[in-house]
Amino acid sequence: MSSTSAHDDEERPWFLAHHFDTVGQQVSAAKLGMWLFCCTEVLMFSGLFLAYFIIRTLYPEMVLGASEELNKTAGGVNTIVLLTSSFTMALGVRAAQTNNQKALERNLLITIACAFIFMIVKYFEYTAKIEHGLLPGNWYAAAEHGYMLPKYSRVFFGVYFTMTGLHGVHVLVGIGVLSWIFIRARRREFNSENYVAVENAGLYWHIVDLVWIFLFPLLYLVK
Amino acid sequence: MSKSKETPAAKANAPEPSYLTAKSGLMSWLVTVDHKRIGLMYLAATLFFFLVAGLLAIALRTELYTPTQDFMSAATYNKVFTLHGAIMVFLFIIPSVPAALGNFILPLMLGAKDVAFPKLNLLSFYIYCIAAVMLVTTLFLGSLDTGWTFYTPYSKSTGTAVIMATMGAFVAGFSSILTGVNFVVTVHKMRAPGMTWNRMPLMIWAIYATALIQVMATPVLAITLFLLIIERTLNIGIFDPALGGDPVLYQHFFWFYSHPAVYIMILPGFGIISELVTVHSRKHIFGYRAIALSSVAIAVISFIVWGHHMFVSGQSELAGIVFSFLTFAVAVPTAIKVFSWVATLYGGSIRFNTPMWYALVFLWTFTVGGLTGVYLGTLSVDVHLHDTYFVVAHFHYVMVGGTVVAFIGGLFHWWPKMFGRMFNETAGKISALLVFIGFNTTFMTQFFLGHQGMPRRYYAYLPEYEVMHQVSTIGSWILMVGLFTVLGTLLHAIKYGAKAPSNPWGAVSLDWQTASPPIEHNFHDTIHVTGSPYDFPEIDKSGAHH
Amino acid sequence: MSLVYLNGKPVDHPHENHHHVSPVWQFTAVFAALVTLTILTYLVSYAGLGSASLPVAMAVAMVKASLVIAFFMHLFYEDRVYAFMFLSCFIFVAIFFTFVLFDMHTSAEMNEEAGIHYKRAVEDSAEQADTNRAFDAPAPAKAGH
Repeated sequence: MSSTSAHDDEERPWFLAHHFDTVGQQVSAAKLGMWLFCCTEVLMFSGLFLAYFIIRTLYPEMVLGASEELNKTAGGVNTIVLLTSSFTMALGVRAAQTNNQKALERNLLITIACAFIFMIVKYFEYTAKIEHGLLPGNWYAAAEHGYMLPKYSRVFFGVYFTMTGLHGVHVLVGIGVLSWIFIRARRREFNSENYVAVENAGLYWHIVDLVWIFLFPLLYLVK
Repeated sequence: MSKSKETPAAKANAPEPSYLTAKSGLMSWLVTVDHKRIGLMYLAATLFFFLVAGLLAIALRTELYTPTQDFMSAATYNKVFTLHGAIMVFLFIIPSVPAALGNFILPLMLGAKDVAFPKLNLLSFYIYCIAAVMLVTTLFLGSLDTGWTFYTPYSKSTGTAVIMATMGAFVAGFSSILTGVNFVVTVHKMRAPGMTWNRMPLMIWAIYATALIQVMATPVLAITLFLLIIERTLNIGIFDPALGGDPVLYQHFFWFYSHPAVYIMILPGFGIISELVTVHSRKHIFGYRAIALSSVAIAVISFIVWGHHMFVSGQSELAGIVFSFLTFAVAVPTAIKVFSWVATLYGGSIRFNTPMWYALVFLWTFTVGGLTGVYLGTLSVDVHLHDTYFVVAHFHYVMVGGTVVAFIGGLFHWWPKMFGRMFNETAGKISALLVFIGFNTTFMTQFFLGHQGMPRRYYAYLPEYEVMHQVSTIGSWILMVGLFTVLGTLLHAIKYGAKAPSNPWGAVSLDWQTASPPIEHNFHDTIHVTGSPYDFPEIDKSGAHH
Repeated sequence: MSLVYLNGKPVDHPHENHHHVSPVWQFTAVFAALVTLTILTYLVSYAGLGSASLPVAMAVAMVKASLVIAFFMHLFYEDRVYAFMFLSCFIFVAIFFTFVLFDMHTSAEMNEEAGIHYKRAVEDSAEQADTNRAFDAPAPAKAGH
C-alpha cells in the first residue's frame, strides 16, 4: 500500500498479501483456517451420524430390514471411486509442491472426473429409489410398490437421503472448488513456493472422502 | 515488513488520513476489507436490531402491565416474545461484541495490520445481512410463535413461518463460524513481535475462547436447524413421535449448540471488563493466568452442561444428575474471574468515569445473574423454577446485566479510539445510573415473580402478580430511557465531541499506541512488545506481580 | 538486515517455505491399504459377527480414516497445532454422542422400570393406519432395546 513504511530489501512475492509479513505466516494462517473449517464440517456431519445411531438404537430390526434395499454394489463402487479421488488429490498437491505442472493438472482432472462418476452413480441410485417409492417422509410409498418393509422404514430412508444428500451437495461444491483450482493451475499460479490453495482444496476433498468412509458401512452394510 | 521509523519530518509532511477518511464514498464502505470499517458496519447493524428487539420487549412489558389482555391477543403475544428472543439472540447478542467490537479491537491489540482473512471478514458481514433479511422476512410471512428455541413438535405443526426463521438462523450461524475461524487464526499467527501468549491483553484471550466456541458449536446448530427444516417440509420422522421420532432428541441437538452459545455471548463481555477494571484503576490485573485460562476452561466446560436446560423435558434423571453436577463446575472459573476483578480494583487508583461505572454495574448484575444460574442448575430446585420468571430474570441478568452492560462500557471505553472524539461524561454517567436503576427494577422483581410461580411466555396472569408486573414494566421504561441516553451520548460525541488524544485513558495495550482514530493500516511502524499490557507506568515494580 | 518475526519469535529465512514432500510410493501404499480395508469392511458385514459387526466395522472405518488424515491430509508431518485443533474436535463429537446416547439409554431403562410406555408409535392419521395395515410387519420395534 502506498502510505505504509518502506518494505524490506527482499522483494515481496506477488502472492504475499499486504497484511502478512512473511510467506510462512500467510501459508500457516491459510492452513490453520482450513483445518478449523474441517473441524466445522466434522461437527456438522456428526449430528447426522448421531441421529443415525439413535434411530438404529430405537429400531434395530427396522434399520436392518430397510437397509437391505440399498444398492451395496453402487455404494462399494462409490467408495472405491472416492478413495481413488483422494489418492489423486494427494498426488496433485505433491505435484504442485514439486513444480510438476503437468502432473498437477492431470491429477486435478482425474479427481474431478472421479467426483463426476460418484455423482452419476448416485444419480442412478436415487432414480432407482424414486421408481420404487423408497423415499423419505411424505414421499414414502414402499407399500404401493410392493415392498414389505418394517414399520417406520420411512425414518431410515429419511436419514439415508439426508446423509447422502448433504454429502452429495458437498461433492458438488467440491467439483466447483477443484475446477476453480484447475483453472488457476492452468494460469500457472501454483509452484513450489505458492501451492497452499491446492493443499487447502485437497483438505476439503479429503473431508468429503472421510465422511463417506463412515457413511458406507453404516448405511449400506448393516448387519 | 517495516523497518526503521520514517523521519519525523517526513511524517509531519504527509499525515496519513484515518481509516474513516482514507477512502470515501458508499462503495468504499461496501467493499472494504478494513477490519475497522467492517466492525463499524457490524456495530450499526447489531445496534439497529437491538433497537428493534428492544422495542418488541417494551411492547411485551407494556401488555403485561395488567393481568388481562390489553392490546395483544395470545397469538400475537407468542409472536412478539419469539421474535424478541430470536432477533436478540441471532442478530444482536451473538454477533455484537465479537463481530462489532472484536473486529475493531482485535488486530489493534495484537499489533497487526488486519485480521488473518480480511475478505472472509467482509463475507461474514454480508452473510449476516442475508440472515437479517431472512429473519425480517419472517415477519411478513406469518411471523413466528414457537419461542426462539423452535421446540418440536410444535415447530413442526405450527402454521407460522418457521422455515424462513430457521433458515435465517442457519445463515447467521455461518457468519458466526467464519468470524470465529478468522479470529482464531489471527490470534495464533498475527501477534506483534514479542507478544507471547502471556503478554496478550485479556480481551484477546476472551475473544479467542469465544472464537473457539463459535467454531466448535455452531455447526451443530446448522445441522439441527437443517433437520428441523426437512422434518417440517418432508415429515422425515426424526423429531415427531407420531412418525417414530423423538422430540427430546431435538432438544439435545439444539442445546448442544445453544448452551455454548450463551458463553459466546458472555465471554467477550468478560474480556471487556478485564480491560475496564485495569485501565480505569491504573492497576495490574490480579491473576492474569487465572483469568486467561479460565476463559478457555469456560469454553471447554460449556460443552458438557447443556442438559441443564432439559431437566424436566423427559431426559433421564441420571443424565440430569450428571449435567447438574457439571453445571456447578462451570461456575468455578467464572467466579475466579469475578474475584480477580474485585481484587484488581482493591488498592487501585480508581477513576469513576463512565466506563468504570459500567464495569461496577456489571460486577453487581453479572454476579446476581451468575449465582442465580447456579440455583437453576440445581436439579431439584429447577423442577420448581423451570419455565417461570425466575429463568427469565436469570438470563436477562447475565445477558443484559452482563453482556449488554459490558458492551456499553466497552463502547464508551473505545469510542475515542474509534471516532477520535470524547463523549460527554455527565451524560454517560446519567445513562449508567438509568440503566442500573431501570434494569434492576425490571428484573429483580421477576426473580420474586418466578419464585412465586409466575410462568414465562404467558400474556395474562393471576391478579396476585399484578403489582410486581407493574413495577417490572415501569422499570423497563426507565431502562429504555437509559439505553436511549447511551445512544444519544455516543452519537452526539461523533459529531460534537472534543477531539480525543491517541491515549486518553493512559492505557498500555497496543490499541492505544496508535492514533485515534487509527490510520488504515493501524500502525506506522511495527511495535515490539516487551512487557505486560497492564504495566501502568506509575505502578511500583518492586511489588510482586508478573 | 532487519529481523522478521513470526508468532513473536525471530525467523531466519522469512520468505522460504520448505515443507515435507511425501514420496509417491507412500501415497500408493496408503491407497492400497484403503482399498484392502474396504474389502475387509465388506467381509466383516457378511461374516455373521452378530452384534459385534458394528464395532468391528467402525474400527475398520476408523483405521481408514486415520490413514486418510495422517497421510493424504499430511497431518502426520505437519505442525502439531493443526493436529491438536483437528483431533480436539473429535473430543467434542465424542461428548455429544456420549451424553445423548447415555440419556436415550438410561431414560429407556428408567421408563421401562416405571412402566412408562413412550407412545412413539401414535397413529394420528387414517392414511398412516391404512398404509401400515397393508403390510403389518411382524414384531414392530419397541422403544429402547
